[in-house]
Order: sequence, then C-alpha cells, then structure tokens
Amino acid sequence: MEFYFGLAQTIGIHTLLGLSAYIILLTGQMSLAQAAFYAIGAYVSGMLTVLWGWHIVPAMFAGAALGAAAAAAVGFPALRVKGLMLVIATLAFGEGVRLFFFNFDYQVQKGNIKVGPLGGEGFRQIRYFPENGWTSDEVMLFVWVFVILVMAMIWWFDRSRYGSVLRAVGDDELAAQSVGINLTAVKVSAMAIGGAVAGLAGSLYAHYTTHIEHLAFGVLQSVFAIAYPIIGGLASVFGTLAAVIFVQGFLVEGLRFLGDWRNLLFGLLIIVAMVVRPNGFLDGQMLRNFKRWFGIRSRNA
Amino acid sequence: MSKIALAVAAAFAASLTVSGGALAQEKTVVIAPFGVKTGVLRLFGINSEAAIKAAVEEVNKAGGVKLADGSKAKMVASDYLDDRCNAEEGIAVVRRIVGTDALVAVGPTCSNVAEPLYGILQKKVDDAKDTGLQFPILTDVAIKVGLAKISEWSFRNVPSELTMYSSLYYWLKSTRPELKTVYGGVEEDFAHSRASWHVVMKDRANANGYQVLGESKWLLNDTNFSTQVREIKKANPDILSIAAHPFTTCGLLKEMQRQGVKPKLVVGLTSTSSLETMQACPKQAEGMIIPSSFAPVNKEAKFAAEQTAKQKGSADLHSMASWENVFIIKEAMERAGLSGRKDSASIQADRRKLRDALAATKTTKGLLGVSKRTEDREADKPYVFVHGKGGVWTVLHNPL
Repeated sequence: MEFYFGLAQTIGIHTLLGLSAYIILLTGQMSLAQAAFYAIGAYVSGMLTVLWGWHIVPAMFAGAALGAAAAAAVGFPALRVKGLMLVIATLAFGEGVRLFFFNFDYQVQKGNIKVGPLGGEGFRQIRYFPENGWTSDEVMLFVWVFVILVMAMIWWFDRSRYGSVLRAVGDDELAAQSVGINLTAVKVSAMAIGGAVAGLAGSLYAHYTTHIEHLAFGVLQSVFAIAYPIIGGLASVFGTLAAVIFVQGFLVEGLRFLGDWRNLLFGLLIIVAMVVRPNGFLDGQMLRNFKRWFGIRSRNA
Repeated sequence: MSKIALAVAAAFAASLTVSGGALAQEKTVVIAPFGVKTGVLRLFGINSEAAIKAAVEEVNKAGGVKLADGSKAKMVASDYLDDRCNAEEGIAVVRRIVGTDALVAVGPTCSNVAEPLYGILQKKVDDAKDTGLQFPILTDVAIKVGLAKISEWSFRNVPSELTMYSSLYYWLKSTRPELKTVYGGVEEDFAHSRASWHVVMKDRANANGYQVLGESKWLLNDTNFSTQVREIKKANPDILSIAAHPFTTCGLLKEMQRQGVKPKLVVGLTSTSSLETMQACPKQAEGMIIPSSFAPVNKEAKFAAEQTAKQKGSADLHSMASWENVFIIKEAMERAGLSGRKDSASIQADRRKLRDALAATKTTKGLLGVSKRTEDREADKPYVFVHGKGGVWTVLHNPL
C-alpha cells in the first residue's frame, strides 16, 4: 500500500498546485509564477520545521501567508499588463524566485550536522513526518484534508457572488468594470488566494520529498500548474482533480511500465485529451450531464 | 461508450498494479534497478541497466544465490524503472519497489534523486519513532559527496571524489611542477557537478598548493559557452578543472578550440570519462585527465565490459559500479542467510538481514581491486588516472 499512499499524496499536492492556478485562470489571467509561490511555501515551511522546530501546521500557514504576500505583490503590477505580457512578467518573477533560492544559503548547526538551504545543492533533511512518527497513510490523510478544504473553499467561491465576479472579470473585463466591479481587488485577491494555495502545496511537497532544490521550481512546474485546470476544464474544481489523476496517476505512474515509450506517449496523450475534450474534461456540458444523472438541481433552475 | 470506459478503467487499474516479478515455480531473490532513462542523462540508465542484466546472468550461471537452508535461488532483476532524474518520481519508484518482493534497490543515477530518497528512509535502524521506509538501497551512480550518511538504510558503491582529486592534484604537483594555477568550469545547476567543484576540486587544488584563480559557471542545458571561454582566456590558467557532464564539457571544449584557448592541462569530472565524451568530442578531449574507478585494465574488467556490451551498454565508472553492485549484493545475501520466502513478513526480515550484511561489509571485490567500506556506508574504491588518447580513454597512471 506504500506506493498507493505515496501516489495519493502526490496527486493531492499537484491538485493543490493546479487549484492555485485555477482561481487565477477564472479571472482570465495566466500566471507562470505558481512555481515561485510553491517554492516560497516549500522553503519557508521547511526552514520553520527544520531550523526552528515549528509544528508543521503553523509552518504551512506561514508558507501560505508568504506565498499570498508574494502573489499580491506580483498582482499589483500585473494590473498594468495582461495577456502575453502578463505571462512574461510572471515567468520573469518565477525565474527570479528560483534563482534567489539557487543562491540562498542559510545553514545552522544542529547536533553534528549543518542543516538549512545550501544554494544549488538544495535543502535536505526536511523529515518532519518520519521523525514525528507519521505513517504514510496518516500523511496521505493530512494532505487530503488540505485538498478537500481548498476544493470546498473554491467550490463555495464558485457558487458565491465572489465566484461570479471572478468569472465576470474573466469573461469580459470591460463589461465587469462597467457594472462597478473593482478590477484591482478582484485580480489581486485571486492572485493572493492562488499564491496561498500554491504556498500550501509547496509546504506539503517539501515535507513529502524531504529535500528541495531550485530545479524543482522551474518553469515546467508552472506549466503543469496551469495545464491541470486547462486540461480538466474551468467549469468546476473537480476538473483540476480529474486532470491531475490523468497526468500523475495515469501518464506518469500508470504508464511507467512502458519504459521509454511512456515519454513519447506523455505528450501525445495530452494532445489527444485536448482534442477529444477541447474545453477540458469537465466542461459546462459535462457538468450539466452529471447534475442530470445524479439529480442535482442547478442554482439557476 | 460505457464498454470503452470500462476497458480504459481496467487498463488503468492493471497499469497501476504492482508487479512482483517472482516466479511461483522456483526460488528467486529479486533486486530492483532504477535510475534515469530520459533526457540528457539517458545513457547512464541504459548502461547501468545493461551492466546489471549482464551481472545477474553471470550470478545465475554460477548457480545463483545460496539461501539460509542451503538451497539455491535464482537472482532476478526486475524491470529498470525510469525516475526521469526527478525527486518526486524517484520517491514514487522506490515506494513502488517496496510494494514488491524486491529485497534491495540499485540506483538512482542522479544525486538530486538520491538525496530525497535517502531522506524518506528510516534514519537510524531500530528507531521505533522514525517511520521512514525500512528498505536497503545500494547506489551505483549518484556520486555527490557524502550522501549515504543520511540514512542507515542507504549504501553507495561510488568512488570517493575527494580521495581521487586529492591524489590527482598531488600527482600533478610532483610530475608537472611547472603548473601553478587552477581555474574552474562548473555546471552550476547540477548537484553533482556543483559539489564536485566547490567541495572537492577547488578545495583539493588549494590543499595541494595551487592558486585557484576563480571559476566560470554554466547550466546543464546550456549550449553556448562563448562567455565562459572568454573568462577562461582572461584568467589564463595552467590547469582548467571542468566539473561538468559530457554534454556541456564537449560544448565548452569545442568553444575553447574555436576561440583558440588552450590551457596547459585540462582535468575533467569523473562522470565524463565515458563513451559519450569520446563520441561527441574525441579530438577536443585529447589529453584531458580524469580520475576514474574503472578502466578495462585486467581480465575481470574486460570481461565485465564485454558482457555489458552484449546487453547493448557501454562500460564506464558508473555502469561498472552497477555490475559490482550485483556481486556485492549476492555476497551479502549469502552472508545474511536469507529465507527466500515471499510472505511480506519474511520479505521484510530478509531486507533487514541484507541491510545488516551490507552494513557489516568491510571490503568488497571490485573490478580494479579491493574496495574498502567506510563507516558512513560509502566505498573507498581503487582508481586510475585516464586520459583521452586517440579517441579512447587510456590509463595514464595507476596511483595505487
């Protein structure tokens, strides 16, 4: 069961990463800085548990808070640019953060070894879970508590006025502004929430792998973050989960037995998925079908 | 539609099923090789896989592995699993292996995978509070200095770069006294290369009385080295120490040739003493000196290289460590007295016995001679200095 518990942890962490981009995508913005917020959460929480002996929960919240603060800081200048310019701006920020951690040394003596981030060599010994007797199934449950909480929060947002506002901005910024929606508040808040969720994901990632380094937070990680909600569809938070299961569960782990062929199939199957489901796995029509099949009444009905 | 969905679901479930690899009819002991078979480091995995297959064949030709009850078991290497040099995937691979009847894993290729992997293992054996995995890993390739001490379940059969470069600079000091200065070239974003320059080469050059003039940096995926070569030209060192893998080492050497930069001596990274370098830049690598824990200098080494070639791999210091690992494991298994039973309690008990046997190992028989095992579960392997000559690596000096 060890493998399945580990896989569930990976799927949970990637779902959080995908959801961090989902909420930003709802406003029509595309951020390639999610890996940066993920890195901030990973390094901050790792340092708090390893160097200063914090409990993991407050350390995670600290990572999320700093992720949110960094995202809000990026969000303000992002108001002046949109579309491809925003992609480039967030990409530059993401690379800047990665390079910061690439050069970031802060080690302290703990017992007979030095611990803490050591630039390009990374940050090892983030062993909160095993050192505190957490078993794999307990870690899996812990990860999924956060996944469920975040999914519930975003699902609730989606059904609230705030969610409608996010989608209104995403559909037509000008129209949204003309009916009195404060674009600054909406975009910056979406970025901050996305940053916080990415920070949470990064915190869990650091404690899952026990070793982090700058290479784990490159642009490819940000591409995956936005790919999950796009492949899954923006109609529902569950689309992101479905996409993560497809990518991490099926393409990465499920096809591992294919050896070298797996890498060839990886890209091909994503293209096939996008061709078959151009609006994502869970688009509006699919969601309506689900509701009909399970007898769930629509809010608008 | 529902039939298709059912078929897809069934294929998905089947693909996630952990395969055991054990045959019901005969006793087997399973080892699980893994590493990278993707991207620029792909050849490392291909060579290791070939060497392991070849070595396992030799073990079985010689009768297999003797169990505690005196019976013989066939050694089986499960499918070589690709971790894509990615920490998350490496962890997933090992968790998958732990769910099988494998008694030990051989891998990984990349140091940035080895570090997190060792981190998820139990740090100290018998520490009931530590819930890390209790599974032995004997690493063949990941060479970054000082990793095995992370967990008492981690072992490495990789050469000590500290010892080898110390010896190389010492030898150069006595044989080439006219060389006074050293300049570094480092693949800064790759854990092994970076540590090899900053922790090993630079330190050892200083310790042997060389003046270190500085260093030029580049990244693993870089393809343009003009700026770095200009920096080297400006520094005008006697010795250029390159801490980089074959792909960027060749890129740098070709750019040096283009700009007419020719230090008196070029020292390379251990991992560069491979076939890839000689395929990519044989002329430019002419004269480059590298300490290596493998060269086909004796009957056993030549035989191992030939058998690996039959499995479509090439012999170098990394793949031949994989070969050696199979025999180290065989010897430790026989000393441990394994039950060979396939119930989960027996498998775990056998893993523990094997770990203890590996930990108790003081020396191992390698292809270049006897390797000593250190307290930190690392190897102190014999080595030679090789240099590029006529498109092949040939032994320049045997310091031992």
